[in-house]
Amino acid sequence: MAFKEEIPALWVEKYRPKKLDEIVNQREVVERLKKFVEERNIPHLLFVGPPGTGKTTAALCLVYELYGENWRQNVLELNASDERGIQTIRERVKDYARTVALGDVPFKTIILDECDAMTSEAQWSLRRIMEMFWRTTRFILIANYGSRIIEPIQSRCAIFRFSMLSKEDVAERLKFIAAQEGINLTQEGLEAIWYVAGGDMRRAINLLQAAAAYGGPVDDVTVYKVAGKARPTEVHEMLKLALKGDVMAARQKVYELMINYGLSGADIIRQIHTEVFRLDIPEPMKVEIEDLVAETDYRLVEGANEDIQLTAFLAQLARLGKKTAG
Amino acid sequence: MSVPYHVPWTEKHKPRSIAEIKEIVGEADYVDKFVSWLKNWKPGEKAALLYGPPGVGKTLLVEVVANEFHYELIELNASDTRTESILKRLVGQSSQTISLYGAKGKLIFLDEVDGLTGTEDRGGIGAIVGLVKESRVPIAMAANDPWDPKLRPLRDVSIMIEFKRLRTYSIIKHLKKICAREGIIADERALKIIAELSEGDMRSAVNDLQAAAQGKKRLTVNDVSWLRARNRQYQAFDVLRMLFSAKRCDDARNVLNASLLDYETLMLWIDENLPRQYTDPEELAKAYYYLARADIFLGRMKRRQKWELLKHVIDFMTAGVAMAKTKPYKFTKYGFPQKLLLMAKAKQMRTIRESICEKIAAKCHLSKRKASTEMIPFIHVIYEAPGLAKREISKWLNLDESMEAFLKKQG
Repeated sequence: MAFKEEIPALWVEKYRPKKLDEIVNQREVVERLKKFVEERNIPHLLFVGPPGTGKTTAALCLVYELYGENWRQNVLELNASDERGIQTIRERVKDYARTVALGDVPFKTIILDECDAMTSEAQWSLRRIMEMFWRTTRFILIANYGSRIIEPIQSRCAIFRFSMLSKEDVAERLKFIAAQEGINLTQEGLEAIWYVAGGDMRRAINLLQAAAAYGGPVDDVTVYKVAGKARPTEVHEMLKLALKGDVMAARQKVYELMINYGLSGADIIRQIHTEVFRLDIPEPMKVEIEDLVAETDYRLVEGANEDIQLTAFLAQLARLGKKTAG
Repeated sequence: MSVPYHVPWTEKHKPRSIAEIKEIVGEADYVDKFVSWLKNWKPGEKAALLYGPPGVGKTLLVEVVANEFHYELIELNASDTRTESILKRLVGQSSQTISLYGAKGKLIFLDEVDGLTGTEDRGGIGAIVGLVKESRVPIAMAANDPWDPKLRPLRDVSIMIEFKRLRTYSIIKHLKKICAREGIIADERALKIIAELSEGDMRSAVNDLQAAAQGKKRLTVNDVSWLRARNRQYQAFDVLRMLFSAKRCDDARNVLNASLLDYETLMLWIDENLPRQYTDPEELAKAYYYLARADIFLGRMKRRQKWELLKHVIDFMTAGVAMAKTKPYKFTKYGFPQKLLLMAKAKQMRTIRESICEKIAAKCHLSKRKASTEMIPFIHVIYEAPGLAKREISKWLNLDESMEAFLKKQG
């Protein structure tokens, strides 16, 4: 293989399929992609599907097989949620598309991941770019939600839908990895991983590796332990403290999250959003809190002061908590 | 891991004996003057009025002396509401009942007597004067500015003991001692900057030192550079007191004019101290609602360069916050905004987190954001677990020590 490099230390990479045939499930998708390889030609592609179902892997396998050893020279990988705006993407694509493709494939390929993070304005711009460089460049666009991609782009792409992986698919892969790594993965462990990660292969493999790091067998106990640790309890505690009326202590938790975990206000509000629905409080109250979360989130998006807005949110929680208690 | 910011160094490292105080201030005559007043006090004699700028140790001296000579100290703060009757009751009780065992006698201490203002304290000064004359136990008082005309009656019944600003070198000496106890290696120039900026106010110097040095092993000039821009702490405390005790919108709105603080700094102070001042959830929620509104308008004003919006920012953060109270103002110990320091630290951690995300993103075909939400939580667990996988991961991702430390820190 052309990509003989050091063995990745993270299993999600180490066990990422290198060939289309190794991809778990997604049979129809894989068969059609293999046809493209045979023909040495691809249209613009749009891969759509839930996280951890193999979209990025399929794109990578496709270009490995298409270009062989020359893939590095012919492929540009960009991430729409990292690149600062469409302007950067345009510049990079322009520079890249200007040079001629190496080898026997007459075009280069740009993999643009997480496209649904792009604003519609940026997508219109992207549409133009796709048109400008169509002679020399193909795009593989990847997104979780097809509906977030504007029509004109959808109509220029062959759309591939990746389905959620089944329990059997995930189990088979995990067992394979466990065997390779010499790990005792119990049936209970498998069930627990499925319960936590569902059909998200990335999360399943991450859970497996983290659980294996404890050295013992990977059973349900270790898996749940890892899942619990991977989800900081601080946010939960913070909400409970605020609802009890201790705003000072709750705020201290905010500071700890910022300092120990390097989280931003936006990160914290995202976690709060998840935790609210796990709280042991009356259901209608969850909705009331969600209303406060949404308002705080919006304010932070607008660039408001994290500390003031988060503490104001906690103070509102304390009031709600008191109202409910008394 | 809990962040141990709760114990102020001003408490933790305050002198506990007369000897220790003398070690700091040198042979200042006010120490002996106060001690000899107390030792020789007999009923009918004058009270002692200790005066001088904030943070020079007036209250501290009273506490230490009382303790060392086994007096039972009855402390009343000026910010407590005190009508004549309350004062009479408290002081009356103290001067008539018999001391608890072990205590030689009682010492009544009225702090911040220049804070006696307004209607609530009506008759306060007169009452004190009356009590001083009748009291069977010594009464000491403290004030920043004893020359206020309304304090004149008090001056007539007191001996005046002046406290001077501390000298820079005395402050440096004390800061050094604290650093030694905290295991901090401090650059002398940094301590000098802190000492000079404090203008002879030991309390603010120690607070500044804590803000700049806590949690560090070394203190450099860089760590204290942000102090220069900051105004004096006691001014902030005074402004907060004025703000939180304001009964009318206009009084609250005026606090900014009365101080040297700019509105953004004041906002920081309010944010830090709101939960201390308002303990009732209803009041706190209301006050924070308006502080948050002020913050929103501050953002709008800056983004759009519409400076005329400033009036709303100020109205919300002053009147909005002050009118949230439903109960009378209650004396509150205010704190120094930890946010500056914490945010600096948080920013540092965020930078580390981001650079780890960048490395993961480059190798794992995902965005930095996904690296942060999907990968880092699990990598944290791996670093905490006993296995050797972390070594390989560090090598593969090419992580430096600070990044490894970040990943190990959880749990």
